[in-house]
Amino acid sequence: MSKLLNLSSGPQTRDRWTTQFIMYVVAASLIPTAVVGVVVNGLHALWIILASVGTAVLSEFLFDKICKKPDTWKDGSAVVTGLLLALSLSPSTPLYGPIIGAAFAIIVAKCCFGGLGKNFINPALAGRCFLLISFGKSMTLFEVDGVATATPVAELAAGKAVNITSMFLGTGGGVIGASILALLVGGLVLWAMDIIHGQICFSVIIGFTVFMGLFGGQGFDPKFLMAHLCGGGVIMGAFYMATDYTTSPVSRLGQTVYGLLIGVLGALFRVSGSAADSFSYSIIIGNLFTPLIETYVIPKPYAFRKNAIALQNGEPKLPFWKKIPKPVIVLTLIALVTGAALGGVYSMTKDTIEEQKRLEKLASYKEVLPEAESFEADPQLDMKIAGIGGYYGTDFGKATINEAIIGKDASGAITGYGISVTSGDGYDGNITLSMGIGADGVLQGISFTELHETAGMGMQAAEPSFYEQFKNRAVSSLKMLKGGGASAEDEIDGISGCTYTSSAVTNAVNAGLDFYNNVLKGGSFGE
Amino acid sequence: MSPRVTADGEREEVTAVRKTFRGGVHPKEQKELSRDQKLCEFRPEAGTEMVYVLAQHIGKPAKAIVKKNDPVLVGQRIAEADGFVSANIICSCSGKVKAVEKRRTIAGSMLECIVVENDGEYTKAEGIGEKQDISSITKEEIISRVRDAGIVGLGGAGFPTSVKLAPKNPDAIKYVIANGAECEPYLTCNDRLMREYASEIVEGLEITLQLFPNAEGVIAIEKNKPEAIAAMESACVGKDKIRVLPLKTKYPQGGERSLISVIAGIDFPVSKLPADVGCIVDNVGTLYAVRQAVLYNEPLYMHVMTVSGDAVKEPKNLLVHDGTSFAQIADFCGGVKEGTELKKAICGGPMMGLALSSLEIPIHKTTNGLLLLSKDEVEKAEKQQTACLHCGRCTTVCPQGLNPGMMAETAEKGDYERYEKKLWGLECVACGSCSYICPAKRPLTQIFRQFKAEITAKKRAEAAKAAGGSK
Repeated sequence: MSKLLNLSSGPQTRDRWTTQFIMYVVAASLIPTAVVGVVVNGLHALWIILASVGTAVLSEFLFDKICKKPDTWKDGSAVVTGLLLALSLSPSTPLYGPIIGAAFAIIVAKCCFGGLGKNFINPALAGRCFLLISFGKSMTLFEVDGVATATPVAELAAGKAVNITSMFLGTGGGVIGASILALLVGGLVLWAMDIIHGQICFSVIIGFTVFMGLFGGQGFDPKFLMAHLCGGGVIMGAFYMATDYTTSPVSRLGQTVYGLLIGVLGALFRVSGSAADSFSYSIIIGNLFTPLIETYVIPKPYAFRKNAIALQNGEPKLPFWKKIPKPVIVLTLIALVTGAALGGVYSMTKDTIEEQKRLEKLASYKEVLPEAESFEADPQLDMKIAGIGGYYGTDFGKATINEAIIGKDASGAITGYGISVTSGDGYDGNITLSMGIGADGVLQGISFTELHETAGMGMQAAEPSFYEQFKNRAVSSLKMLKGGGASAEDEIDGISGCTYTSSAVTNAVNAGLDFYNNVLKGGSFGE
Repeated sequence: MSPRVTADGEREEVTAVRKTFRGGVHPKEQKELSRDQKLCEFRPEAGTEMVYVLAQHIGKPAKAIVKKNDPVLVGQRIAEADGFVSANIICSCSGKVKAVEKRRTIAGSMLECIVVENDGEYTKAEGIGEKQDISSITKEEIISRVRDAGIVGLGGAGFPTSVKLAPKNPDAIKYVIANGAECEPYLTCNDRLMREYASEIVEGLEITLQLFPNAEGVIAIEKNKPEAIAAMESACVGKDKIRVLPLKTKYPQGGERSLISVIAGIDFPVSKLPADVGCIVDNVGTLYAVRQAVLYNEPLYMHVMTVSGDAVKEPKNLLVHDGTSFAQIADFCGGVKEGTELKKAICGGPMMGLALSSLEIPIHKTTNGLLLLSKDEVEKAEKQQTACLHCGRCTTVCPQGLNPGMMAETAEKGDYERYEKKLWGLECVACGSCSYICPAKRPLTQIFRQFKAEITAKKRAEAAKAAGGSK
């Protein structure tokens, strides 16, 4: 009995749940989503998932080894990060995507900030956004059966109808982890196990839905709201990304504030932003607000709440509304006021913006059809364009004919046609241009109405040296020469180093020319 | 509150203010090991040493009133309360005082103790155990008998009961709560006490209720002890002022703050006592001791205790004599089971209990358990420790509504100001729920205990400085 026994400070017993256990449960809850993703998108999706998870774990292992830190790769958090990153990528992403993304997520976004529990933004989202910004083109390429298509959210943004059932099941295109059903199953299991907090995921969804219903332009139409909820990573964001422990507040009150913030921002970005990946950014902004929320939203201990103090003093119980803590009232008021202000500004400026856009477009037509005095729409022409539906032809990439109008001079004679074309093949988003074709069929010039290419690179398209090449070309199709040296009538010099932009513009112009020759002038017009 | 049964056998359903308190955890109960073992008395043999620690209660240590070679008897007072918040120490055996010296105690430090050589006769001192007539007893007499008997709160803290029973305004007391929750895993001694001595506990509660004219008695028991609930209910039949309240099985249900939160619906800060919000909470063991003292002139020298754990041969519920050593008790229960190795010994339950460095240590009046375990969960947890995940589990389980994760972060930075003012860190009652639940296995409770001690020391130093400056 002289042997000394182990001493320790209490409690002498501990719960069985460990960090590792929680992480692996989260990873396991993502398996259904991954399986659906692989079944729908094919084997390449599996390679993406494996590459992402493998790189994530390896990165953490190597970082710890090189920096002589304690081994943490076994705690499972790298697996979760890798899995979430892979599931939020397009199934046609080349394999270097998940590898670079996962390495960035683990090394830069997590380990450099001190590893597990110290990172300030969600590593998986950081990796995803890093990829979107660096390799925008290949990361947002969505293919179904080898044909490039728009994601449901992009179509939704374009005001087109989407198939909610296929979005819900995950067969409607989009990222690998697009199956809302599978995500909900996993997410609700985690919620029931108390691993993720309902305060976060449900307030994200509520905030998003309410804002979308109020300012989305279609009211509380269940179909519209469902379509928005099912697309663009809202569900994955709400259940898996926003609920990341490290980057979300700890207190329930703080969690609710944080969830609502993300939901409202996500909806706001979708209503008035341009990028289809806006939800990732709204979560990242939410992450950045977490330290602020944690500093200011600290719930009082039970004994210091209003009701408890009244009871301690022998006063009667307070009625429900008096028990609401002050911060909640203040925050609700702030939310209501800013929401109303935002909505008011939006609806007030909506018409002005539309009008501004119309005037801009008119000015651009004037620019490319200088001889025209007035522009008229032609109902038959409009119907033709509406009849095209989707991309124009198969040879022009993601080119869409927006509208065509007829330019007339003072005497009413037709001087030419103005055509607005959008190409979805820009390096960063859409390129929209107006082109003028004279009555003689000669391309008189082009003018951009929407261009967000990289400054100093694709943005050179807006310089006269590039766009003036399109003046007075009497051809039915143009060729873009990457290396320059154009001499023939149908040749155009591309912007050096900006093949995407140059070819997108050329394709758009060619689509317009083709439309002019085959639809507007060709046999099919006026039938 | 649950049914109150009137004399005619009618059940009256009354609801509690709250279903349960907020927060809390549910550790594995482990009560099946010992719950079926009847209480049995353990008397150490002749020639053994009985060691009485002078500081085994909250407040000032008692003053020894015997010296070496003095003969002593069972029930004899051997140390006297020193001041108002202090308690008498009663001898639990007959024999001869061997020494008054420093000995190793439960908390690990060396403290002044009276060592008695047990003659094994257990001869009682005069008048001990004689039935008293209490038909005309006054309130003051009850309190003085409780004080003389050296009764302290047997729930664990060891606050002198006579002080607790004499609040400033006895008429403002609304509830006298008999605490039979026994929310600590493994422990079953109060369960056995309620099953075997139900009417005695009710007598103790009735005596206590005499002090508080406007109070009603509530016997609070966790629902995992259906036999105890049934026994207490039948003992309460016909008693209008007493009822039994079954509680949700959840730790720390037996904490006085949790009980008051459920029964009176009031949460109160640590700066206030239960009496300030109209409640008196006494352990069922304490109430039994009150009954023995008032009705039979038997001071507190024996109490109930559970010996359990996976490394003990025969788990038992015992009536132990104060001053016995843990080693004697372990031997009485067959010692360490063959094929297992004793890795850890815990005095009390696993949540609030203290780890013992050796078994050659005397028990206190408040020692309600000895756990002999073959595994050290804390050692294992240390190996699984990771950085804080900010998962918020600690916040969810904290019965005080604190934010342990943030508190630990602040304590590690040494920011007293924020810890105390912004995070209400001193409201921590060290129940251990946050440490228990933490998946990252952070020793949260330990951090808080240490930081609280640091703050208290700092404040004391500042006060001393201020006092020195004003002179």
